[in-house]
Amino acid sequence: MWRTNLAVAFVVLGTLGVYTAVANMIPQVQSDVPEELVLSADVSPEELVAAGENLYAGSGGGCTACHGLGTRAPDILGTAGSTCETREPGKSCKDYLYESLVDPGAYVVEGFQPIMPDMSRTLSDAQIWSLVAFLESQGGEVTVTGADFAGSDDGPPPTPADPVTDGDAAPGDIDAAALVQSLGCTACHAYGASPGGIGPALSEMAGLELDYLRRSIIDPAADTATGFEALAGTMPATFGELLTESELEAMVTYLAGGAE
Amino acid sequence: MSESLRHRRAFWGVGLVLVAFGLLALVGAGELLAQDASQIRRYGDFPVIGARGAIWITAQVHLMFAAFVLGVPMFAIVVEAIAIFGGDKRYDKLAKEFTRLLLIAYSATAIWGAMLTFALSSLYPVFWSYLTTIFGPSMWLYAALFIVESFTLYLYYYGWDRWSEGKAKYGHWGLGILLNVWGTIVMFIANGWLTYMMSPPAEVAADTAPDQVQLWSAIFNATWMPINIHRILANVVFGGAIVGMYAAYRFLAAKTDEERAHYDWMGYIGNFIAIGALIVLPFAGYYLGREIYEFNQQMGITMMGGFMSWLWIIQAFLIGVLFLAGNYYLWIGMGRIPGAERFTPYVKYMLVVLVAGVIVWATPHTIIASRDEIAAMGGTHHPFLGALGVMSAKNTAVNLMILTTFLSFMLYRRANKIPVVNWARSGTIAQGAALAIAAVVVTFYGVYGYFVTAIVRIGFSVYQVLAVLAAMLLVVVLDVMMLRGAKSRGEIRWGQMPPRSQYALFVLAVTFTWLMGLMGFARSGIRQHWHVYEVIRDTSAQAATPALGPAATMISVCVLIFLSLVAIIFWLGGLAEKPAHKDPADLVTAVSRGGEV
Ligand code: HEC
Ligand code: HEC
Repeated sequence: MWRTNLAVAFVVLGTLGVYTAVANMIPQVQSDVPEELVLSADVSPEELVAAGENLYAGSGGGCTACHGLGTRAPDILGTAGSTCETREPGKSCKDYLYESLVDPGAYVVEGFQPIMPDMSRTLSDAQIWSLVAFLESQGGEVTVTGADFAGSDDGPPPTPADPVTDGDAAPGDIDAAALVQSLGCTACHAYGASPGGIGPALSEMAGLELDYLRRSIIDPAADTATGFEALAGTMPATFGELLTESELEAMVTYLAGGAE
Repeated sequence: MSESLRHRRAFWGVGLVLVAFGLLALVGAGELLAQDASQIRRYGDFPVIGARGAIWITAQVHLMFAAFVLGVPMFAIVVEAIAIFGGDKRYDKLAKEFTRLLLIAYSATAIWGAMLTFALSSLYPVFWSYLTTIFGPSMWLYAALFIVESFTLYLYYYGWDRWSEGKAKYGHWGLGILLNVWGTIVMFIANGWLTYMMSPPAEVAADTAPDQVQLWSAIFNATWMPINIHRILANVVFGGAIVGMYAAYRFLAAKTDEERAHYDWMGYIGNFIAIGALIVLPFAGYYLGREIYEFNQQMGITMMGGFMSWLWIIQAFLIGVLFLAGNYYLWIGMGRIPGAERFTPYVKYMLVVLVAGVIVWATPHTIIASRDEIAAMGGTHHPFLGALGVMSAKNTAVNLMILTTFLSFMLYRRANKIPVVNWARSGTIAQGAALAIAAVVVTFYGVYGYFVTAIVRIGFSVYQVLAVLAAMLLVVVLDVMMLRGAKSRGEIRWGQMPPRSQYALFVLAVTFTWLMGLMGFARSGIRQHWHVYEVIRDTSAQAATPALGPAATMISVCVLIFLSLVAIIFWLGGLAEKPAHKDPADLVTAVSRGGEV
């Protein structure tokens, strides 16, 4: 009888052991509690951006459950700071981004379902503002300051709408290198000190046809870089709207010339 | 080893376990007393495993027993009904044997329930008083029903032999039904509490005072009904699995052929019910999942694609084990059926389908990947596995697995029979065609799913499921008509089963129990750092929701505690029947002759 008992115990413990081991072998993702954010009124933009990035990438904000997967939500890394300008006429980037987080239904990006949750239910005002700062840093200029949230709990202070700059300059006057930085191409493409790793390095585009480059930027789905077939679809299709005609020309020329 | 010596040993073993539990409880109590009582404590502390761990274990073990005492009575009345209406006394004995196990399991459920209540009120006092403020009246009702339920159980068990004939027998069966009714209401009430924590009604916000929350709207929350249904089905599965395990143990320990025959048969029925209910469980799961998405998109996404995404891969792996072990048991079981040899060649193909199905199903799709991982994988979706990981492939796999398992059961049923009706040949061909058509429909929509948008694809899964259900229904109806008055190729030789088959039943029971723990973690874990989702924040030191590894370790501990206690219960059940063995007239001799479900 003890043999049977032993065999049964062995089977039971063995089964439990296998399950426990398998569950311990896979990647371990813990759901952390979002940290209470204590930011003083004279916090620097860098600190704000860093706090926002933590929220964005960590489980605190939960943003990556939707953003960055391709189809579920728009890709905002590298672009949010500039797309925001084109969203709602008359609304500054700061206001638009803030609104996106606390009243996501107010403006729904075309082609997506209104599933983005209202972040004010789970995040504090300081956390939301740090996210706005981080999003602005993705291709735009950080305008959030400690004054936006210190003391006030009742929504965004009315900011005067930014003057919309749409005067088109000649391609020659445009600093393409600055555009590469401000549009966030470096989030994916190796450039200067940025490691890239998701798209081909910008310097490797030297000598490509201007037409091809133009099309690749305006409509990334049109052609796919060799060796990057599996990543097709990762590059945002929004640059065409973001760049003025002359900016696009400057960019294309810059890339064809080896991006230096 | 002599009988009495063995019992003495077992007695000491059980005693030691109990003493150890008692000591742990005392240490805990001492620690709690030592805490400063002068200020309001939001959270208490528990030695070694922490407050969260203490709640986790008490709640999970309580739930496993609760599932046991809800699942087994359902089983008991079905089996008793077969005895009453089919006139087969064997089934009556079987039903009574289950009910005896219930008595002890009942007190275990109550004990762990009390421990859970104490743990909640001392470790999470503020939150507990919030819950009692909202749910107070329903808690009293719960307690009252529990008493009524226990009393019904006593009547049901102790009245078994007295009310065994004529009208009285129907009355007795009615008691069994009542027992199920009480149990179900009790479960529904408790489900109201825990689903409220998951999906509180929209009008409840962080600053809503608990006495302002309407009791009914709190109970009738978004996930209440789906959880009710899911749990009822899961309890049936669980009851079947535990009964199967009991039978397996008694089979292995049996000393006479009669006993072996009886327990072999009992194990078969346990497995049949467990797998049968398991086949419909995924539908309840989809319903629950859909309600979660509807309640809060982000919660749904956290569950399926967020930090829990790997959990579903483990789940798929476990369900794969269940399908494989269940079928393995059936295939071995064909050895005891005269005439089953003619089906053996097909087994290897079915095995191939099952294994392929498991592999596809366990393939990850949307997994949180870091930037480096994306770069390493060369895409947000794996170049090759990504194609298998999508819903189309998974639904196809699981539907084919269900069809295969169903086929196993049908072959089993057919094995020792020769149909006598004159349309038997065409009937069999029709059955085969129905299954083949279902398989083709499932595969067609599975492949087609790759060429359409997600919204259309979701609709396809409905066609797949309908095709499978329709085919199964048709095949069963045909089978029942075709086998009416069928000739036998020989009786099933119950008891002539190699012991290794019985270990498959153990694997099934352990896997079901573990799976239940895992799903429990999924259900309560998606609240993340909230006591009540987006209403009451968990501000304790252990608010972070652990990753799968530590969670799995906890689940294993719970399963181990549960199974050890179940072993004790089985042993006690065995003690109770000892005198019966002295009386040969009462032996289960009738069972040695064949029968089927
Ligand atoms: C449940 C999925 C989901 C989650 C979680 C989520 N989002 Fe979104 N988000 C979306 C969708 C879908 C859109 C596009 C539709 C819309 O505008 O509402 C969107 C739009 C946005 C926009 C506007 C983008 C634009 O191009 O105008 C911003 C900014 C944004 N989200 C930021 C965030 C941040 C920051 C987080 C984490 C705190 C987050 N989102 C979490 C789904 C989500
Ligand atoms: C989210 C990541 C991401 C961002 C941001 C991004 N790209 Fe790309 N890009 C890719 C990927 C991945 C590819 C390769 C796949 C393909 O061709 O679609 C690519 C391809 C290209 C190509 C085509 C290269 C070839 O050899 O065919 C060009 C040109 C390009 N990107 C320019 C840009 C510019 C300019 C920016 C900034 C305005 C930018 N990208 C921002 C991911 C990104």
